[in-house]
This record gives sequence, structure tokens and C-alpha cells, in this order.
Amino acid sequence: MVEFGIEFVPRDLYWKTTFYAIQAEKNGFNTLWITDHFNNRNVYVSLAIVSAYTEKIKFGPGVTNPYMAHPIVTAQAVSTLNEIAPGRVVCGLGVGDRTTLEMVNLKPSKPLATIRESVRIIRAITSGENLKMEGKIFSISGAKLNFKTTSGIPIFVGAQGPKMLALAAEVGDGILINASHPNDIEKAIEFINIGVDKASKRLTDVEIAAYTSFCVAKDQKKAEKAVVPVVAYIVAGCPESILQKHNISMDTATKIRQAIIQSKWKEAFSQITDEMIEAFSICGSPEIVTEKISKLIRVGTTQLVAGSPIGPNIRKSINMIAAEVFPHFREKEDKQYA
Amino acid sequence: MALEKIVRKIPSSSWEITSEKLIDIVLNSPDAKKMPSGLAKTILYYWQRDQLATEIGLQRLLEASVMIDPDKTIAVLKELGFEELVTVLESS
Repeated sequence: MVEFGIEFVPRDLYWKTTFYAIQAEKNGFNTLWITDHFNNRNVYVSLAIVSAYTEKIKFGPGVTNPYMAHPIVTAQAVSTLNEIAPGRVVCGLGVGDRTTLEMVNLKPSKPLATIRESVRIIRAITSGENLKMEGKIFSISGAKLNFKTTSGIPIFVGAQGPKMLALAAEVGDGILINASHPNDIEKAIEFINIGVDKASKRLTDVEIAAYTSFCVAKDQKKAEKAVVPVVAYIVAGCPESILQKHNISMDTATKIRQAIIQSKWKEAFSQITDEMIEAFSICGSPEIVTEKISKLIRVGTTQLVAGSPIGPNIRKSINMIAAEVFPHFREKEDKQYA
Repeated sequence: MALEKIVRKIPSSSWEITSEKLIDIVLNSPDAKKMPSGLAKTILYYWQRDQLATEIGLQRLLEASVMIDPDKTIAVLKELGFEELVTVLESS
């Protein structure tokens, strides 16, 4: 049964993010992800206030990274959230956004070992274990939270490249695939299969989430205009292998990244083409996005995350998704499971 | 005139549409940051309980929208045909 997630970027005022979170819950979204970038409002403060104004929607960082925040701090934060909203917390973890990491001279070195060890630390600490470990990246001589935790915070690993996808499937409860195109999801599932095999799990044991850049509006042009800045960030941080698949040169991606780092927005956004929007977003009218979501589900997506920007008018777009997109999937499921 | 009295002049049949339009002003104004945190939390409280299209919810929305974008608030009230309300607001 497909689930729907939604992502908010706490660049907005805290009460706007909370307003949209309440709206998402009312409209039947299953999970709320809030991004973690040092230059926006703090993800855990944002999630804490969301938790106070919602009752059932699941929520968590989507995604935090172990370069900015030590995984023990992440474990502490999600455990605290889980005390506020038991059973509703999820933890999204990834290598982070290269562009913002570069702003503080952090390099996502040894990403596979870093993520593997981070998942181990977060899982152990959130389960109340007293953890001692000597890893390649992290060394912990004995750490345990001073408050009771309830185990079972699902850990989702953000992934795009083949090795990270396999690792995410091996160690995670879910995979947040940074992709919006069915070909990319289909290819990703090949690597996810490698990971689940290695861990002696079944493919159905892991949640496969397409973490899309999503933009819905009645007017196609308005939707495209709103999605351009997000696509620029995606192209700027995209691995070469993915860019090649969509015939985008590394040189173009580097130029866009440099322009973003220097806050030359016009220069960055002017390089975004229709092909890039098609490759890296789900963008268009409700009918078009419904068709694109159907394709993603057909290739194996179990959670569709409507990521930023969601629409030119977020409130209207959330209502539009609930009224014009959800019924295509939820009615089908109701019939299927009746 | 107090907001309580102003809002009472809005017929209950128009609460829903008025609420929708005031929410749009509050969320989409470039001056949204003028909203005091306490008022924002009150609005969130009523939103969570589906009470923004009630008399009490409209009072707080109107307070916020007048603070954030008075011109647009007046324009919306005129568009909805609440001329008397506009006169009261403009003179207060």
C-alpha cells in the first residue's frame, strides 16, 4: 500500500511550516519530513513544535547528516522527539547536501563507512543500549542516554549512488531515494536488491521512498517556474553517474553549484532546462503528477515524498494533492483490498 | 471598535470564504514576519481544531491580516462585500 510523505524546508517562518504540517495531517499525508541545513531553522526545534500541533502524522529529519551532527546527537534528538510523540518518529539520515557542507568546509569523506557506523550508533542509542564501538570513523568508549527510550525508531537512509543504495537497503528500515524519474527508481531497486540480499532481508522488508522534488499547480508554467530553484540544487549536488544518465555534463553541474555557493541565483537558475526539470522533478498539473506518481509506484515505490517546493502556493497545492491526486491511488487501494 | 464586534458583522454563511482569504494573506504576505509569535501560536491552536472559520478564529485571523497587510485585508473585505466592516476598520 503506497504511503504519501511531504517535505518542508524550515526556511519559512516556524509557524508557516507548522501550519502546513497541520494541513498535511488533516489531508491524509502519512509522513512529514523536515530538511536539515545549518542555514535554515533548526530541524529538531521545528519538529518539536510540529509534534505539539499534530496527533498522528509520522515525522522526522529528512535528512540529517553525520558530518554536521554527530550521530550520537541525532540519536539523542530523535529519542527526545519520540518521548513527545511516541511511535511517530522516523529518522532520515544521509551524507548531506554537498553545497551547504562546502560552505563550512566540510567534506563528506568515506560516506559508506560513515553512514554504516552512524546507523549502528543511532539504532543502538535509540534502543537504550550502552554502546561501545571502535569503528573506522567513530569511536565510542561507552555511551547511553540518561532517559528511557522506546526502541523502534525507523531509520531511513538517503541514497542516490549504487553503493549507498545497497548499503541503505542493508542497514536501513527504508531508503529515501533522491529521484523523481521512474528509470532512476527502477535502476535504484536493482542495487537495493543487492543490499537486502546481503542482510538476508526481503525487498518488502524495506520501505522504498521516492523523495521527489514535487510541484503541482493548475498552470503548468507556474509549476515549472516554482520548481527551478530546487532542481538547481539537485543538479548541483548530483553524482556524475546520475547526471550522465540524463545527459547533463559535470561541467554544467559544477557551474550551477558555484553560482549557488556565490548566491548568484539568476546565473544558477538560468541554466536549468526543461530536460532537467523532467529528470529531477514531478512537476505539472494534478493530472500530470498523478500519471508520474503512477509510474513511480509501478516500478516499486512504496512511499511517495512530495518534496520542496510542493507548489507555487503551498496551501493550495496541498489541498490539490488531497482532492485531485490521492483519490486515484487510495480508491484503487480500497477496491484492491476490499 | 473591538475585533469581536467587527467579526460579528460577518454573516456566518461567509465565515468559510473569509477565513480562506485571510489565511492566504497571512501565509503569503512578504511581511508575514510581522506576526507576533503569540498570535501565530493562537492561530495554529485554532487551525488544529478546525476553528479558523468560527467567530473566534476569524477574530485572530483578522487581527493578523490587518497587522501584516492592512491594504490587502481591506481589499479582500471589499471584494466580499463587507463595506460597513471596511469603514469601521479604516476609522479605527
